Amino acid sequence: MLDNLLKIKFKNTSRGRITDKISKIVFMSATILSASFIFVIAGIIFIRGVVPFTTDNLGVGRVSLFHFLTGDVWLIGETFASNLYSIGFIILSTLFITLLSLAISFPVGVLTALFIAKIAPKPIAKILRIVIETLASIPSIVFGLFGAGVILKLVYDFSSSIGYQSKGGNSILSVVIVLALMTIPTITTISEVAIRSVDPAIEQGSLALGASKTQTNFKVVLSSAKSGIFTAAILGIGRSLGEATAVSLVAGGRRSGLSFDLLDTTSTLTTIMLEGLKETTGIDYDIRFSVGLVLMVVILLTNLMLNAIKRRVGVVHVKE
Amino acid sequence: MKKILSMIIMLFIGVSLVACADKTTTVSTSSFDETKSINVYTRDTTSGTRTGFMEGIGFAEAATSDSVLVDGFLIKDNTGILTTIAIDEYGIGYVSLSSVNSSIKGLQFNGIAPTEANVINDTYALKRPFMWMTRAEGDYPSQTVEDIVKAFVAFLGTTDGGDIINNQGAIALPSTTTWDSIKSNHNVCIQDNSSVTVRFGGSDSIQKVAQALTAAFMPKCGNFVAEHDHTGSSDAYKRTNDPAIKDTSVGKDVGFASRNFRGSELDVPAVRRGQLAWDAIVAIVNLNNPLVNVTAEDLKKMYNGTYKTWSEILG
Repeated sequence: MLDNLLKIKFKNTSRGRITDKISKIVFMSATILSASFIFVIAGIIFIRGVVPFTTDNLGVGRVSLFHFLTGDVWLIGETFASNLYSIGFIILSTLFITLLSLAISFPVGVLTALFIAKIAPKPIAKILRIVIETLASIPSIVFGLFGAGVILKLVYDFSSSIGYQSKGGNSILSVVIVLALMTIPTITTISEVAIRSVDPAIEQGSLALGASKTQTNFKVVLSSAKSGIFTAAILGIGRSLGEATAVSLVAGGRRSGLSFDLLDTTSTLTTIMLEGLKETTGIDYDIRFSVGLVLMVVILLTNLMLNAIKRRVGVVHVKE
Repeated sequence: MKKILSMIIMLFIGVSLVACADKTTTVSTSSFDETKSINVYTRDTTSGTRTGFMEGIGFAEAATSDSVLVDGFLIKDNTGILTTIAIDEYGIGYVSLSSVNSSIKGLQFNGIAPTEANVINDTYALKRPFMWMTRAEGDYPSQTVEDIVKAFVAFLGTTDGGDIINNQGAIALPSTTTWDSIKSNHNVCIQDNSSVTVRFGGSDSIQKVAQALTAAFMPKCGNFVAEHDHTGSSDAYKRTNDPAIKDTSVGKDVGFASRNFRGSELDVPAVRRGQLAWDAIVAIVNLNNPLVNVTAEDLKKMYNGTYKTWSEILG
């Protein structure tokens, strides 16, 4: 009897070990597959992106990397016949737009998260959570259509009411509004999770010491959740930097001259890649890979910088 | 419970306030201020419509170059130009005739209204013809290819072909013949042609129209294979009839051009070339804009920056 039991047990464990091994291999190959995509994509973008700088582009001439990164005009001369591409001003306006949209979406998103997590009554919080999650999953083209149909008109009317002639509302302001609308749900969802996972003991301690509810929320809850809130900001920035479709519908396609004028047209790294992409060939096509390469570098650098700041900000006791 | 109720009331008040604000902002002034600057809207340099427009107003160098345009122009796609001109009272743009609607004003060109009828009777001038040209008789890779090309050319003149051209945004020449009524003249279409390749080329502006036409015609004519390689209008003649090129690897059976044939191209007998459609482009402005008519010169001056404000063209 005992003998039999032992046998069964032994069988089970040996089978268990095999399953463990198999599942380990399966999981590992899935990880290798998904990780290798990053290298394949980055590699292909890199290989194609350096073509304009290393070859003479079928007689058009080599693109100067220095001019490309610092210039003030997208393309001087005729398309397909000129190598004078540059995106210096576009890099700066992309960063400017991202910062501005974060300046709107970050406070709004975090305060919404705080309201949902701590202040709102349970049933309302539940509804709001569904609303925000739905907003977060709306495709960017829908935000773009909303931007082109509603925000352009609002910005146009606003600027004419202050006596400024805008270009049909196509402006930095419209882009910033569209991006803020898109990033608020992302920031809200992630910060809300961070706020909810703050250890209640810290909160109760603050209240017991005589701090008011508002003081506790701002000074204790938010600062305890700052690491998670920072992650939300990083993801928000990522979405702003990478958005192409919605932005291209309201940006106006600026082709030269750096401008920080909120009501003037603009271009971002993504819109310049997207415009004309489907119809173009040769150097005008290849150069878009170079822009993509620059965009990837910009995103990488921003993320590294933000992560460094995040580490400095540090983590307070958070419920695991 | 009280809390929830007060929340809902707050929300309600909030929503109604927003609604109020909305109403006041959407009231737009209908007075047109001529001293405002002209906002110039254009397609990007890869657009065939841009080429057609710039060539039509005598500003061909702007077809592929942004540098010659007025400072501060905006780049939008066809729909983008339409929707923004509907908002921007001081904008000027251009779209293909097929996309003109009542939300914007299509301008007369040299005094002729932009209508399909005026395009077909050749009075509206801001347009370009879509032309076709074929190889000489007996100069095809095989008799089957020659017969298919003949059937294809006949198909171009039918209402079936016309519908496809119109769907692509161009304007087909008027016709009353249907493919069904003439297909008995083309016995080649009854047999199985799935091993036959017909080579199409010429203007890249026509590529979309040409591909739609061959895609529709292939099943009607024994599923022959259509090979498209569009490189430019001048190759319509060179690759079908120029003795130095037509028999090389880039030779074509049918070539398309998005302009009238000229010079030595006209030596090709008239039966082997013809027109399939018009591509008409319309300059558009906001409905509030008092402008009704422009000339090529006006448009060129707006696009190259000679005219900066609306008073210069209206006054």
